[in-house]
Amino acid sequence: MTTITYPLSRIEGHARVVIDIHDDEVFRADFQAMEMRGFSYYVQGVPAEQITVIVPRICGVCSTAHQVASVKALEDTFGVTPPPLAEEIREVLLLGQLIQNQATSLFIFTMPDRVNASSLFEISDKPGDKERQFSLAQMALRIRKIGTDLISLAGGQFIHPIKTVIGGVTSGIPRQKADVMIKTIDELLPVANEMVDIYWQMSMEMGDRIGSWGDDEPTYYLASTEANNFRLNSKSLRLMSPEGKECQNFDPHEFESYLQIEDSDYSYAGISSFQGQIMRANSLARINLTTSFGTPMADNYLKRFVETFGRPAHAIMFFDLCRGIELVYALEKARLLLEDDLEHGETEVAYTLRDGVGYGLVEAPRGPLIHHYEVENGLIKNADFIIPTVHNMLAIRRALMVVAKRYVSADGISSELGRAVGRVVRAFDPCIACATK
Amino acid sequence: MESKKELPKFAVLQLSGCSGCEVSLLNSDEWINNFNLVYMPLVVTSNKIPEDVEVLLVSGGVRTDEDIHNLRKGASRSKKVIAVGTCALSGGVAQIRETHQARDTYLLSSHRLRLPDMLPRAFPIDRFVNVDLYLPGCPPTPELFMTALTEGKNAKIASIVCQECGRQKLQDMRPTSITGMRSGVVLPDICLVNQGYVCVGTSTRGGCGALCTRPGHACVGCRGPANPYLNKEPKFVLDNLRRVFSRMTDIPEEEINEALESPWLSLFLDQFTDYTQDESLPMRTKEKMI
Ligand code: SF4
Ligand code: SF4
Repeated sequence: MTTITYPLSRIEGHARVVIDIHDDEVFRADFQAMEMRGFSYYVQGVPAEQITVIVPRICGVCSTAHQVASVKALEDTFGVTPPPLAEEIREVLLLGQLIQNQATSLFIFTMPDRVNASSLFEISDKPGDKERQFSLAQMALRIRKIGTDLISLAGGQFIHPIKTVIGGVTSGIPRQKADVMIKTIDELLPVANEMVDIYWQMSMEMGDRIGSWGDDEPTYYLASTEANNFRLNSKSLRLMSPEGKECQNFDPHEFESYLQIEDSDYSYAGISSFQGQIMRANSLARINLTTSFGTPMADNYLKRFVETFGRPAHAIMFFDLCRGIELVYALEKARLLLEDDLEHGETEVAYTLRDGVGYGLVEAPRGPLIHHYEVENGLIKNADFIIPTVHNMLAIRRALMVVAKRYVSADGISSELGRAVGRVVRAFDPCIACATK
Repeated sequence: MESKKELPKFAVLQLSGCSGCEVSLLNSDEWINNFNLVYMPLVVTSNKIPEDVEVLLVSGGVRTDEDIHNLRKGASRSKKVIAVGTCALSGGVAQIRETHQARDTYLLSSHRLRLPDMLPRAFPIDRFVNVDLYLPGCPPTPELFMTALTEGKNAKIASIVCQECGRQKLQDMRPTSITGMRSGVVLPDICLVNQGYVCVGTSTRGGCGALCTRPGHACVGCRGPANPYLNKEPKFVLDNLRRVFSRMTDIPEEEINEALESPWLSLFLDQFTDYTQDESLPMRTKEKMI
């Protein structure tokens, strides 16, 4: 038996892929989370109101999603409804997170794979193309910065934000700051389009070069955005069958009847399924479940995607293309929302602590995120974090099996396997810090 | 781009943390022009830290046997080690409450197939290697990263958060109870203590630009205690906070005491607790603090 271990870089957190091969045959291909965070334990006994400052620290990449989900879970527990202005500001916040995340995944994590470079800063696909190299990295970082600036604007700071509080948000967004942001988006939206086109082109070339888009069997798809309303500050979850039919629609408090979550025996991360069936969350799931974005450029990309690849689309590398579409949407939508008056009006309402159970749902960049708390005597008795990456664990494992089989044969183990493993894992953009308890 | 190779080598080692420190560093992209980034798994495919690294940033606490190994190896190949973030300074958020239950789960799981062993707790990095500079914050802002990289020990940092906050302390606004997060309105421009919030900016090291307090959230002290309280028991910082609240408010003492024992404060205010209890740990002098 031969065991090959691939350490992974350009993903969030510490993980590796371990493949067991016996007589040219692949036995197992495991995606292992190598660290354990332990938040569901730390927060036991913490005064309920304080959990909103603690749980963003689960993950510095997804802190915004955790913070909003946490606040929503307590609002559900305490029975408070935040004012509409606060809901809108939270949407801006989550759009900022989507921009930051998709730009990071597209340009920093996966673009280097398209051209076999080791990092964005070293992309040199054409000799003598120094100009473009420089501008690629610069452009990528500038687009990503719109995301972090939006989070700062709507959330106070871009990692572990603080402006979202139980009952609303602490303050609005001043007109003048919104205008500066609008100007930046106007300037960079065409750049983002260009970058997404370059990325699309590079991906097509890569697909041709390796002769595959990461073909895998169809699966279920899970998202909490609506078909015609891509709201990230979401309310319910939707499930699409492998054939492309929307087959379930459920509220976060019903999640246990639909999603089975268990520990795994090969990793610190859990795994989940829909009644034992493999699911996928993240960009491809959302795109498969979206009919229209309601913004012109994103809808154009959506049309192009569906016309080219069909609906539902299943190949692994489509996750990456879908992130590009979402990046464009988030920029367009943030711009639209910033035109509204987000400065005046009620931003938060008072509330009273009470015991009970609550659920908070948001569509995080990696899929639907649910925080589920039980509050007793004002303290957190139990906290459950239903993590999007966990929904993809079975799918990642199966996709790894597919590539392993592709690159292991009687002639030996192809040197392409290491790269392929990286491409597959990065397509799912897993977040290890979040995925462990 | 050719000249990159001659620039000083720069590496970022992430132990057990949340990646927030790295994400923050990515926003201070000026270093891209000043350094040759040789190791940072989040953005570069590189499996090991090369020799002759000029500056090694370490984020995250020491939580597994693998962390110890990587930290020792990384430090031995680097001229200068900078500890960044609460986790590297104290072990981090894991210290809120290392429950028996949590520990049992770790011990059980770490014996699973081929996974690194969990240590009984998360340790600060200077328990294992020599640290030249400390950069507290959860995470430190991109500006603070730049300051640490460019000015190092010569950096001038605001002594407390209030210096950068811009909210005014009023004589005649004396709350009689703690507002918690319950009031529903935060008044602009007025000190949060005047409004009854448990804001610890008065005793917290500055430099963050009062990120939280300016938009209206109480400071939870992520930059850690200000210089006078370094290497001292948490009691000193808490006593100072008690003085502030009795000077500025009419909130009963027990209520203040209870609020100051909050987990979200202990996470940051106790960042240096180890240093008063464990003789073998090095002193963290104010000269080494950013
Ligand atoms: S110090 Fe804060 S931001 Fe940095 S790794 Fe630790 S939890 Fe994350
Ligand atoms: S205001 Fe306080 S909690 Fe906020 S960043 Fe500054 S030191 Fe940290």
